[in-house]
Formats: sequence, C-alpha cells, structure tokens
Amino acid sequence: MKKFATALTLAAALTVAAAPAAFADDTYPSQTINMICSHGAGGDTDYNARLISRMLEKKLGVSVVVNNVTGANGSIALTQYKDEKADGYTLIATNAMSLASNEASGLSDFGYDAFEVIGIYGKQCGENLLVRADAPYNNLEELIAATQKDPETITLGVAMGGSSYIAGLIMQTEKNAKFAMVDAGGDGAERMTSLLGGHIDVTIAPYTLAKEYIESGKVKSLCTLMSQRLPATPDIPTASESGVPNLQIDTLYVLLAPKGTPAAVTEKVNAAVQDIVNNDPEYKQAIMDFNFQTPYALSIADSIARLKEQREHMMSYSKYLQ
Amino acid sequence: MLADVIPGLMSVLDPTVLFFIVVGVFVGIVFGSIPGLTATMAIVMFLPVTYTMEPIEGVSTLIALYVGGISGGLIAAILLNIPGTPSSIATTFDGTPLARKGQAGKALGVGVVFSFCGTILGLLVLVLVSPLLASVAIKFGPYEYCTLALFALSLVITLTGRDLVKGLISGLLGVMLATVGLAPVDSAKRFTFGMVDLNAGFSLLTLLIGLFAITEVIKAAEDVRKPFKAEVESNVKIKGFGFSWAEFVSQKFNMVRSSAIGIVIGILPGIGGAISGMLAYTAAKNQSKYPEKFGTGIIDGVVASESANNAGIGGAMIPLLTLGIPGDAATAMLLGGLMVHQIAPGPLIFDKSGVEVFGIFFALAFSAIAMLCLELFGIKIFIRVLKVPKYLLLPVIMVLCVIGAIGNANRMFDVWTVMIFGVIGYLLIKAKIPHVPMILGFILGPIFELNFRRAVQHAQIDPTGFIGHPIAICFFVVTVIVIFFSLRRQRKEAALLKASEES
Repeated sequence: MKKFATALTLAAALTVAAAPAAFADDTYPSQTINMICSHGAGGDTDYNARLISRMLEKKLGVSVVVNNVTGANGSIALTQYKDEKADGYTLIATNAMSLASNEASGLSDFGYDAFEVIGIYGKQCGENLLVRADAPYNNLEELIAATQKDPETITLGVAMGGSSYIAGLIMQTEKNAKFAMVDAGGDGAERMTSLLGGHIDVTIAPYTLAKEYIESGKVKSLCTLMSQRLPATPDIPTASESGVPNLQIDTLYVLLAPKGTPAAVTEKVNAAVQDIVNNDPEYKQAIMDFNFQTPYALSIADSIARLKEQREHMMSYSKYLQ
Repeated sequence: MLADVIPGLMSVLDPTVLFFIVVGVFVGIVFGSIPGLTATMAIVMFLPVTYTMEPIEGVSTLIALYVGGISGGLIAAILLNIPGTPSSIATTFDGTPLARKGQAGKALGVGVVFSFCGTILGLLVLVLVSPLLASVAIKFGPYEYCTLALFALSLVITLTGRDLVKGLISGLLGVMLATVGLAPVDSAKRFTFGMVDLNAGFSLLTLLIGLFAITEVIKAAEDVRKPFKAEVESNVKIKGFGFSWAEFVSQKFNMVRSSAIGIVIGILPGIGGAISGMLAYTAAKNQSKYPEKFGTGIIDGVVASESANNAGIGGAMIPLLTLGIPGDAATAMLLGGLMVHQIAPGPLIFDKSGVEVFGIFFALAFSAIAMLCLELFGIKIFIRVLKVPKYLLLPVIMVLCVIGAIGNANRMFDVWTVMIFGVIGYLLIKAKIPHVPMILGFILGPIFELNFRRAVQHAQIDPTGFIGHPIAICFFVVTVIVIFFSLRRQRKEAALLKASEES
C-alpha cells in the first residue's frame, strides 16, 4: 500500500508541474500559472476562479489555466496541492467555508495555515433561510418560536455536516430552536427541490437559487445568513438583525498557494487581484450577472485575519460535527 | 409566450449559431464515441469557452455537445462492445451481437435513427407539458427515490443471464464498491484506509472504463498469437438508413415505450441515463413476444436503449429549465452555462427569458437533426474501425481511456483505479460473472442508501412514514411482483438453455 501511495504521489507530482523553480522576484510570472479549482465546473466557486483567472491573464501577461480537481467538498484538491512546488506557478482557488468546515468536521486535518494565503477575492450572495410562501411565519423569531411550541416537528433540511447544518446548530445552541434536522442534500438546488416538494418545511440555500421562487411568490426568505444585507436585496434582513447574532455564514472565495511560496509572489498576485476586483467594471458586471455578488477583496493580512475568525467560529461547533 | 416562438427560432437560425451547433454535435459525437470520454466531459471542456459567447450561441453549443455526446456512445458500444458513455451500456447487449453477425451497419443505422426519434419525442414532451411534469417530479422525496432504486435494482434478475447467483454477486460487488468514500448523510469515511484519494470514492466513469474497455483489451491480448482475420462482412453495402421501413414500423411501440421510460428517468434528478437505457431494455424484453432472442443481436434491444437515453435529454431539461434543478452532471453544467448568460431557470423562465427558452428548444431540435445527418454519413467511416487490426486499435483505446480517466477529475488516482477495475473485470469474466449488474449496483446502491437514510430520518419525525406515500407504496408492490415474475421466468429460461445445451 505504501509503495502504491508513493507511486501515486510521484505520478501526481510528475503530471502537474516539472517547472523550473528558480526565478527572480521581478520576473514572476514568466510562464503558465496552473490554477487548481477545488470544486466542479459550473458552480459558483468554479465561476469565480475562471473569471479571476481570465482577468489575471491580462494583468500578469501569462496564461492562467484553471483545472478542476474535485471531490469530497474540495478536500481532495486541497490535500493534493498543499505540498505542491512553492514556486508561484500553482495556485489553488477554493472557498473558505469548505476549508473551515472540512477541518471542523474532521474531513481534513489542516486549515488555511497549511497554505500561503494570497487573498480573499469574493463573497457569495449569501445563504438564505427559506420557507414556502404559505408558511405561517414571516421572520426568524416567529419561526424559532414555532419550533419551541411544537418541538421536533418542523423539519429543517440541511446538508449534514455542511454549513447549513452548522447554521441549524447555531440556532439550536444560541436560541434553543427545536428543529427536526434532516438531510436534504449537499447541493442547494437539491434542498430547494425538497422544500418545493413539501418534503421539508425550512431550508437554507443560496439566494441565486431561491431568487426565481421568491419573485414568483412560491417561497419566502426569512433572512440572509450573511454578516451584512446583500446590496441586491436590501429588504431581506440578516439573521443577526433577526435576533441570532452569531448566525453569520459568509462563503468567501479565496486564492491559496502551497506553503513556502515566496511573499513577493503572493503580494504581487494579491495586488493584481485587488486591482481587478476593485477597479475592473467588466469584472463587477460579470459577478453581478452570475451570482449577485458585489466586489470584495482583502489584503493578505486582512484575509488571514478573516480566515482565522471563520475557522474559530466553525471549530467551536466541531464537537457536533465529528 | 407564443410570441416568443418566432424570435426564438430566428435567434437560432443565425449562421454562427448553426455553425456552433454542427461543431458542437460533431465534438460531442467524438467525445461520446471514444471510450473514456463522455458527454459530460465535452461540456466541462467547452463550458468556460461559452462564458464569453453570446447567450444563444453558448447555450446552443452546450446543448449540441450534450445531444452529440449522448448519442455518440452507441458507436463504440456497437462496434467495439465498449459503451462510449454510461448511457450506452444497454446498447452493447444487442448492438455488439448484431455487429458480430455482420450487421454493424444496420445496428448503427437503427441506433442513430432511434436516437433521433428519442430526442425529438423528449423535446416534444419538454415543449408541451414541462411545467406539469416538473411539479410531479418534485413530489418525489426520500421514500419515493428509495423504493424506485429498489425497483430498479430488481432489474438485476432480468439482466443477469442464466446464472442468478453470479448476477447477484456482481450486483452486490457494485453496491459494495460504491460504499467507498464519504458516506451519504453523515459523511463518515468508509473503507478509505487513510488514503485521501479514496475520500471521494470511485467514480462511475472509472468503473465503466475499467470493466468494459480495459477488459476488452485484455481479452484481445489472449488472441494475440492467432492470425488476424479481417472482418470482411463489414463491407456490406448500406443503403439509406441500413434497415427497412417495415422494421422501423415494427419498432414503433418499443420506441414510444422506451422514450417514455427515458423521459421519466430523465425528469427525476439523480438517476441518470445509464439506468434508463437498461430499464427500457428490460421492459422491451419482458413485453416482447420473443424475449429469448434478446441479447442475440436483434434491433429491438438497440432501439430500446438508444430511444431511451436520448429521450432522457428532453426529460432532464424539464426540471433544469422549469425548476433550476439539474438531474445529472451534464445538466448541472448546463445550469452554470445558462446562469452565466442570465437565463435564470425557474418558474419564471418563460416570462423572463421566453425567447431564449424557445431558442433552446430549437437548438435542441437542430442538434438532433445535425446528429442524424452527421452520424448517418459517418456510418460508412465508423464501420471501418472493424477493419483496423485489434493490435493497433486497442492500444489507442487504452491511451484514450487513460486520458478520459484523468479528465474525470484531473487525478492520476483515477488512472490506477481504471487499471485495477480492468483486472478485476477480467477476472470476473473468467469466473463468468456478468459486469452489467455491477454497474447497476454501483449506480443504484448509493441512491438507495442515501434515500433510505433520509427516509428513516423523516420516519422518526412523522411515524406514519411510508403509509402516507402512495407512489412509494406503488413502487414497492411493483418491485415485489417484478421479483416474483422475473425469478420465475429466469428459472424457465435457464432450464431451457440448459436443455438446449445438453441436447
């Protein structure tokens, strides 16, 4: 088995990059950058990675090729590439929520600090707490009160161990909500289907997926789980405003590099990313169109602080997750 | 809504769009026909390219890739006995025997024409009744999926051939292989032995390539010292479609039934084309006046499989467009492709993006036509594959399989698993254990487990459980009946076979 594992790592190393490591700081980048996306094509993590890579190409003057290495909520890609050659030509695009929740649930045994952080470069439009339009409750407080009145009867459809499950745990531990939590799938679309089909009473799904149903009057959003209201939906309150201050789940898109990547490289890429996110009108339009996102990019130090905060938040629930 | 029909048509009639459709179908066929490369992979590769196209161009290209990819699988299935994509597994059952009888042209012609018919039937249902069907589809919850998976698993008996025990062994092996990785619901790691790569489990594609493609290569290696016989019979001239009008008419019920099965399975998220082909095949066999001829090379089998898998395209588009729910990996990517272009699938899609929706319908229709033309013209070229000596052809296929395995998730790990599955598959052949039940178990086992565990969670909250779900009860009763009858028939067939062998 050990031999097989060695062969595996060797083969993986051979296929990925046999690139010369030496470079002077000011010549970076001088060759194609490999960007590994930890989630599958067509999703939001992938879209953000591809968009930023396209923009980075123009900025840095070299090709930035996105490869999707998928599986186990991104943990396959992160494990496989965290010890990749630290020459700045392998970058990893993932989302911070997967990173933190995988560690909290024991799926991975490392966190953001196993990488050099290049920077957080985007923020998802936010998970919303959704009920069918004919549900008797109109805000989070009413819903939680209803669960206390009839404990374990109102079903909350979540992805067991995922961020939606953690959201349920937060409501349970902080506000003594008494949902009957059931598994309704790791994919937001799957949870929406369950809600619409009447198999569950409440669920949590990204705004993008719920938008059409909110507008057509089939579904109500009680609140967003983002730390701040989404600019595109100023009427939807946040969970913290609705009486559960700790219920904050921001899905942040983050760029990482293997541990040991020179600071000159991460700083250069971070600067390029921040410039694109904050100043490029085409970028701004594209993320709005696809996912109702607004530009959001942090410096390296701020990104690390944010990742640390999110990790601690998630880790405090890890005993429920393992 | 009807006012959007003409602008929708016009948007597709643009020369660039038509060009992209033809190219998309062509590329799709190439991906579909090469073992190891699939429709899904074609869409993955081209999805980022479509991000920068005009909406209707991008969406049409993706649909064309999808149609071409699903249909292209039949070519390798018939000519090489290797399903080009998971959805063409059932095409090998009768397609390959037909080709071996020297009727490869006919088998291909039948496959292509009924692929086309299936696509069009699926499209018609999509256009006419999609909102209605979509609302039925969401009524399927854990209980329904769980019993549906159970029902589909009972097909193992019909698909297994004469030795039931070996069929069940194979099916169980498939179920067991699928348990590797993260468990559904609680994400517990199972049988991973601390290897990170095993966390993601095995993918259907690697199992499929290993069991069907690599085993073909190893089998051919057995004959390496025998002189190569050129398959002269493949020179048969093909006129028209390769089969007669009378044969077409004789298949009309089969086509409609198989397409209906394909559409229904397509609508239900998460089941997939591989199952619909096999379901349609067993339905055709069970309702046939001559079930014993199935598997010996009759067109009925090819018709069933190919109508069903292509009808599934229209079926899968129904929840995709009207609910925003993708049923499989390919439609999940189409969803991304639609959202990039601000076509938001959901209940309001006809109001908000009516023109684009009709554009999609026409793109699907034109893709079907392009597929029909390209493949019919191509038959004469495809068929030459049979004349290529196997010692040249199979190594090439082996390389393509490795490329396909890497393309699956960009991991070397998948290449090793393909090879290991290949060796296991070969050993299974030697033990006369059929492969198909294994695939069936591999696909359906996780669907059953996931929904069983969810159903248990629901039953804890609502103790009436199962009783309140008439569809689930129906599936359950049908499963029991099917098991009973197919066991009886299976015994009879096995006895007949035995008798004929002894005499």
